[in-house]
Amino acid sequence: MTTLIAKTVSKVCVPIIILFSISLLLAGHDNPGGGFIGGVMFASAISLFYVVFGVDHIESIYKNHWDKWFAVGLLLATITGIGIMLLGYNFLRSAYVSATFPLIGEISIISTIFFDIGVYLVVIGGILHIFKEMGEDK
Amino acid sequence: MDPFIAIILAVFLPFILAGILPAVERLVKDKIGWYASGVAFLSLLLVAVAAPEVIRGGAVQSSVQWIPSMGLNLSFYIDGLSIMFGIIVSGIGVIIMSYSNGYMSTKEDLSRYYRQLLLFMGSMLGMVFSANVIQLFIFWELTSITSFMLIGYWRNRSLSVYGATKSLIVTAGGGIFMLTGFLLLNIITGTFDIGTILQDPSIITTIKGHDLFLPALVLILIGAAAKSAQGPFYIWLPNAMEAPTPVSAFLHSATMVKAGIYLIARVHPIFSGTDAWLVLVGGLGIITMVAAGFLAFRQTDIKGLLAYSTISQLGYMMAMYGYTTYQYPGIGVASATFHLLNHATFKACLFLVAGIVAHETATRDIRKMGGLRKELPFTFIIGSIAALSMAGIPPLNGFLSKEMFYESSLEIGQLLGGPFAILIPAAAVLGGVFTFAYSIKFIDGIFLGKRRNDELPKHIHEPSMIMLIPPGFLALLVIIIGLFPSAAVTYMIEPATSGILLEKANVYVSLWHGFNAALVMTIVTFIAGIAIYTRYDAIAAWQDSFNARHTKISINYVYDSIVDGAKGKSSSFAAFMQPGPIKPYLVSLLVLFIVLGTIPLILVGGLMIPPGLAFDINIYELILLCLIVVSAVGAAVMGKYIYAVLAVSAMGYLVSLVFINLKAPDLAMTQILVETLFTIIFLLVIVKVPQTFKEHLTRSVLVKDLLISSAVFVTVLVLLLNAFQGITSPFESISYYFIENSVPLAKGHNMVNVILVDFRGIDTLGEIVVICLAGLGVYNLIKSRSDSK
Repeated sequence: MTTLIAKTVSKVCVPIIILFSISLLLAGHDNPGGGFIGGVMFASAISLFYVVFGVDHIESIYKNHWDKWFAVGLLLATITGIGIMLLGYNFLRSAYVSATFPLIGEISIISTIFFDIGVYLVVIGGILHIFKEMGEDK
Repeated sequence: MDPFIAIILAVFLPFILAGILPAVERLVKDKIGWYASGVAFLSLLLVAVAAPEVIRGGAVQSSVQWIPSMGLNLSFYIDGLSIMFGIIVSGIGVIIMSYSNGYMSTKEDLSRYYRQLLLFMGSMLGMVFSANVIQLFIFWELTSITSFMLIGYWRNRSLSVYGATKSLIVTAGGGIFMLTGFLLLNIITGTFDIGTILQDPSIITTIKGHDLFLPALVLILIGAAAKSAQGPFYIWLPNAMEAPTPVSAFLHSATMVKAGIYLIARVHPIFSGTDAWLVLVGGLGIITMVAAGFLAFRQTDIKGLLAYSTISQLGYMMAMYGYTTYQYPGIGVASATFHLLNHATFKACLFLVAGIVAHETATRDIRKMGGLRKELPFTFIIGSIAALSMAGIPPLNGFLSKEMFYESSLEIGQLLGGPFAILIPAAAVLGGVFTFAYSIKFIDGIFLGKRRNDELPKHIHEPSMIMLIPPGFLALLVIIIGLFPSAAVTYMIEPATSGILLEKANVYVSLWHGFNAALVMTIVTFIAGIAIYTRYDAIAAWQDSFNARHTKISINYVYDSIVDGAKGKSSSFAAFMQPGPIKPYLVSLLVLFIVLGTIPLILVGGLMIPPGLAFDINIYELILLCLIVVSAVGAAVMGKYIYAVLAVSAMGYLVSLVFINLKAPDLAMTQILVETLFTIIFLLVIVKVPQTFKEHLTRSVLVKDLLISSAVFVTVLVLLLNAFQGITSPFESISYYFIENSVPLAKGHNMVNVILVDFRGIDTLGEIVVICLAGLGVYNLIKSRSDSK
């Protein structure tokens, strides 16, 4: 599948897909999307790279340890759950903060977004870890 | 400092400091043992800080909430008994870890060794201070697990692995019985809290009158006996001697094996004073004491000899705690507690001496030793003091507690009357005689007699001071406690006895208390002991020949046949459950699905086709469904993998179109993405396997497969129709709750996402853990495959 067309198209598309996956992640609380969908989309984009250029080629450019991604993601999700307990709530309960900034307007943050980012990282790491290992297996 | 804070720190600091031990090891390298002994010393100080208030004012209990809804709290009960154990555990810990600096070669994995020792010490401290039986159980099993790891420290020696496994099966298995006993106590009393039970005499009265009294006692006693190697459960302790010697000294003589004794002392107020207590605890103790003392004779391994002697000595303590039913409980409890302290000092010392001897002579076989007194003079003196204390020679501390043991045996015998007046004191003396004989064997076999030049290395020399000072200190304690028992009695034994009896106890111990019956028993013991010792080798030879003739009369034989049988059974069961090819798994899953799907449906009166079905289906849906059917059939009949895979993914994309039609964008998006990934991964794999289906399906297999898939189809269809038609109408749909609450409670407008990250957050956490595990699992599978190639 390493045609010039595929290479060129994927170079253009993959960054856009990744940006879109991040927007899906951040918008997930109110609009379609979320950590899982965003993560799978990110993973699909990278796997497109792997398929088009080959695992070895990608690895020679940038060696990525996807297992660290899911480790960090799991840590983040767990810390979110435990962190909220320090505020006196139950495990994994959500907390909501909203503030108005000049020029930008009102910005609100809900604690579950960190949990969702954790899910995002775990999904990316898990899928791509499996993907890379299977691709490297001779 | 508040005693409660001090104890929390003493328990949890070893855990935390063990966690950072690998980082410290990078800094200090080989000196890491001193860090570990420093941690132990810190715990010792903290326990000592908590001690004065408790000794003055009685038990202290405090708790931190943990799971209040289930009545479970992190709570510590601090009284004289737990303080005494705390001092022994952390004090011996300091001694052992210092000694290890000399014993363990710097080539060993020191980080693992000291980490596990510290974890063990923390668990043991947590266990003795636990006020809550569930918490006690958790720490109890932690000590079993750390003991397992330490016995198996030399992982590639098969005997270590065997000993470690055996100890885990016996002690952790016994722990399960103990937990069941605790649950029975909870049924009777409604509480998991030891302090609550101990401080309310009415609860104790209720327990003693309850039908579940005996089952609870037996179950808890099994746990204690398994841990303390009593009765038939003794078998794990001799095999545990494969551990490094400092570990044996720490866990398997001074502390962990005393956990069972601790438990007996702890539940003493609850169960004692009954016939069952006397028969079970006292009887078990006496039998173990005599039997293990006798079995010690044929041990040729110096650590094996000490192991049997430990079992026997623990039997003494068991027996004395059991005696309390008919006599004033203070005597039995005080003497047992005193013996516990004395045994911890002299037995740990003996193990350390055995460690020195084994270290210098490179053997543990007593038949090869002899005459080492000249080359190891200090070791000889230290070892002799400890062994003579074990034999009960005055003025050492072993003499004092053995004297008290004889007194209480005599008294309980007289109170019971009849044959017991002779039997119990006779059994006590017999135990003492055996103890005397093997103690002398330890000194005589190693240090006295002629040197066997052919078996021993040419040059044997004293070890460094690092290895001599710890046992030397213990030997000093043996002498000091023997000559001046009042300090130990006032500050440790009396508070501990008060803690067990729940009232102020006064204990008097003196070296000389007149020419009485107990002294006569001691003199008889010495004379008989010397007489038996002259026949020592003959008895050992007789035991060996008996074992050789009757290999099946052995608890080890029973254990081995059970374990081997379980191994065989489980591997044949695994072969049945895990045949290998994917198809049998699929078949069993689908058949199970059919059975589990239809049975409830029949039970609630579902119909094949519920009446009044009205389908409002539009043309798009119809077209989509037709295409889905086509691709499904295609997947089934295609001859090549690659086409089948493409057909399956076509079906997946079509399903996502159905979701879009049903206005479920999240679902549709997920479906498309997962389908894409699935196809890519499948295609990656498919290039590495044969392109066509290899096995040729016979007609009968095809018919069977078709039947199963049709049955699945019918089950799903009927389930869906019935669900749609509302045989479940008594239940309200759960979706209304989420529709109403996702904005006010979770501040999110995307309900699917809110469910995932908020309402059902713990589920999601579980699922991402599964993803991580799947990632690691696949990695390991692939790596192990490429390693084996």
